[in-house]
Amino acid sequence: MTSNATIKETIKETIKESIHVALAGNPNCGKTTLFNALTGAHLKVANWPGVTVEKKEGTAVYQDIPITLTDTPGIYSLTSYTIEEQITRQCLMDEEIDAIINIVDASSLERNLYLTMQLLELGKPVILALNMMDIVEERGLEIDLHRLPEMLGDIPVIPISAIKKKGLDILLHAILHHYANEPHEFVIDYGPLIESKIDKLSVIMSARYPTHSLVRWHAVKLLEDDEAVKSDHPVRITDIVNKSYEKEIIQAKYAYIESVINEVILYQDKVKKSTDRADHILTSPYFGVPIFLAIMGLIFFFTFTIGDWLKGYFEVLLEVLTGAVNNLLAAMPVSDWLVSLIVDGIISGVGAILTFIPNLAILFLALAILEDSGYMARVAYVMDGIMGKAGLSGKAFLPMILGFGCTVPAIMAVRSLESERDRRRTMIIIPFMSCSAKLPVYVLFSGMFFGEYAGLAAFSMYILGVACAVLIAKALHILGKNKDNESLLIELPEYKRPNFRTIRIFVGDKLRHYLTKAGTVIFAVSIVIWLLLNFGPGGMVSNPADSYGAVIGRALVPLLKPAGLGMWQIAIALISGISAKEVVVSSFIVLFGANGQMNTTGSMIDQIRLIAPDFGALNAYAMMVFCLLYVPCAAAVGTIWKESGSTRFTVGLMVFQVAFAWLAAVLVYQVGSLFL
Amino acid sequence: MTLFEGIKDQEYEVRSLYIEEKTSRRLQALGLNDGTRVKVLNRKKNGAMIIAVRGTRLALGRRILNGIEIIPLPEINDSETVSMKSAERR
Repeated sequence: MTSNATIKETIKETIKESIHVALAGNPNCGKTTLFNALTGAHLKVANWPGVTVEKKEGTAVYQDIPITLTDTPGIYSLTSYTIEEQITRQCLMDEEIDAIINIVDASSLERNLYLTMQLLELGKPVILALNMMDIVEERGLEIDLHRLPEMLGDIPVIPISAIKKKGLDILLHAILHHYANEPHEFVIDYGPLIESKIDKLSVIMSARYPTHSLVRWHAVKLLEDDEAVKSDHPVRITDIVNKSYEKEIIQAKYAYIESVINEVILYQDKVKKSTDRADHILTSPYFGVPIFLAIMGLIFFFTFTIGDWLKGYFEVLLEVLTGAVNNLLAAMPVSDWLVSLIVDGIISGVGAILTFIPNLAILFLALAILEDSGYMARVAYVMDGIMGKAGLSGKAFLPMILGFGCTVPAIMAVRSLESERDRRRTMIIIPFMSCSAKLPVYVLFSGMFFGEYAGLAAFSMYILGVACAVLIAKALHILGKNKDNESLLIELPEYKRPNFRTIRIFVGDKLRHYLTKAGTVIFAVSIVIWLLLNFGPGGMVSNPADSYGAVIGRALVPLLKPAGLGMWQIAIALISGISAKEVVVSSFIVLFGANGQMNTTGSMIDQIRLIAPDFGALNAYAMMVFCLLYVPCAAAVGTIWKESGSTRFTVGLMVFQVAFAWLAAVLVYQVGSLFL
Repeated sequence: MTLFEGIKDQEYEVRSLYIEEKTSRRLQALGLNDGTRVKVLNRKKNGAMIIAVRGTRLALGRRILNGIEIIPLPEINDSETVSMKSAERR
C-alpha cells in the first residue's frame, strides 16, 4: 500500500511550483460554491445564471501541495460568441492550466455533458465533478458511476456536494493524480462527411503549424466557422469548408450524449418532480404576478416592521454609547471642539448608519432566500409580459431586483443581457431602484413625519422607483429606432431548500460591505460635514449659519425651493449623499441633531422646524422622492462608467437623473400643496 | 406550426429553427436543436413559455417561440420515443 508520504514525495518530484487547475461548467451548476468550498473564499453565489462574470483565483492546499484554482464564468459551450465564452476559452487553453475540473449539475446531466464533450476535445486532463447528486437522489434517479467514466474516455468522475463540502478531498486527490497524465484520447465520430473534412484539415494544419498540439480540435472549430480560431491560426480552407458545419457537429455531440444518458441514468421517467408542481402555481399565468408582488410586499413589510422594532434597541445602545463617550471626554482634558467633532460629527454620523443594520439584515436575508431557492430566475418569466411592454425582456428585471440590494452588482449583472441596447437601457433604469443605502433615508423621514403610516410611505418609494424605471424604459422604447424586443431566454433551475451557508455568506458579505462603508466613506464624510459646519470664512464659527456649509448650501436653495426643500442644510445633505446614500442621513443628523443632544426623532423635527416652520410630511416625501431618483452614489457611477465604457453616456445619465429627480420632487410638492 | 402555438403539457419535436444566428446558436448549445423533443410546461396566453428540454427548463419569449418550428408528438411512453428516435438516427 502506498502511504500518504510516498504519494506526496512522488508528486512533489514531478510538480512545477504549484498545480494550476481551472474550474469550468455551465451557469448555475455550483462552480462558485465549489470554488468557495475549496479555497475558503467568500465569493458571492446566486441561484440564477450569470453571477461570475470575471475569472477569479484562489488556492487550495492538499497534502501540503498548493493547488491554484481559477473560477471561470458559467458557459454552455466553448464557442466564442459571448464575452463569458471568450474569457473561459482563453483561460482554459492557457498553457498555465494543467488540468480542468469540469463541474456538472448531475440533476441536468444531459445538457451539462455538452460542455464536457467540448472540454474533452481540448486535450487537457479533465476531472468530472458530479455536483448536486443529492438532488438526483431526492428525485429518485440513479447515475451509473461505472459506466459514465467509461463512456467519457476514462476520465475520473467524482460525486461531490459543493454545498455540504462532501467529496472535496477525493476531488483534490484526483487532481494530484491526474493533472500530469496525458489524457486518453476522446474522439466523437462526426460521421463520414465531417470526418473526411477533419482529416483533410488536419493535414493542412499540421503542415502549416507543425508544433500545434490540438490539430483535431482546431479542425473541428474551423468547420464550425469559429472566428477566433480562424484569426489565430489562419489557413486557406475555402475548398474544404464551404459552409459552417456547426449544426451537424452539435447534433453529433448531442446524439452521443443521448446514448450516454440512456445508459447511465436509471429511473428517468418515474419521478414527478416537485419543481413542476411548484411552478404550476408560482409561474401560473393568473397567479404568477400577484404572488411575486405579494412576496415583495411581505419582504418589505418584514424589513420595516421587524427591522424598525429591532432598530429601536440599536438606538438605545447608541444613546448609551454617546452618553458614555461624552462623560469620558468631559472627564479628560480635551478641548470642546474635539468633543464636538467626536460626538456630533463622528458618533452621530456613523452611529446613525449603524442603527439601520436590522432593517438591512432582513432585506438581504430575504433577497438571499429568493435567489438561493431558485425563485429569482422565475421572476424573469413572470415579469416578461410587463417588461415586454417597456421593450425589455423579463431577464432585465433580475438586475433590477438586485438593485434593491446594491446598484453596483446590479449594474454588473446587466452583462448577462444579450444586446448592447438592452444593457444600456437597463443601466439607465437600475439607479431608480431603491438600493439598501436609500432605505435609511426612507426610514428616517417616514419615521419622523408619517407616524403610523411610516412603513407604507417607505414602501411607496419602492413602488415609485420601479414605476419610474418601467416608465423610462417605455419612453426609451417609444423614442428608440429599433422596436424589436429582445426575446426572453433563461434557464430555470430546480427549486431547492435555501442553503444556510450560502445565505450566511451572502448576508454577511453585504453587511460587512455596509459596515466598511460606515467606517470609511461615511466616517470621512461625517468629518468633512462637521468641518464645513464649524468653520466659515471668518474661522471657527459658533453658529452653523455662518459656516462654509451654509454658504455653499444657500447657493442651491433657490433651486430646491420649488420642491419644498429650500434649506441650505438639505442642499448640503444631498450633495454629501453622492458619496454614499446613507450619508444623507448621517449628514442630516449631524446638521440637525447638533448641540450635543442625542437625536431622538422629536428633537430633530423641532430642530428642522426652528428653521422651516412649515416643514411637514409633504416636504419629507419630496425629499424621499428626490433621494430615490437623483444621481446614484459615487461607486455606482464609477461602475456605470466602467461597464458602459462611455464617459458621455455616464455624464449624460447623471445630468438626466438630477433633472428627473428635481422634476419629480417639484411635481410631488406642488401638486401635493394643492390638496394639503 | 411554431412552438408559440404549443399547448401546455403537450410534447413536440423541433423541426427547424428560424431565428437570428446568435440566438439559435445559444439554443443549440442549450440542446434545443432539430429533432430535439420539448414539452410545454407552462405558458402565458400571449407571451412567454416554460419548456422542458433535455432535462432542464427554459423560459423563452414570444419572438423566439415564433421562430421554432415544431411537429406534435403522439403521446407515448417517454423512454420508448427516445430509443425509437436514436434508433432512427443510427
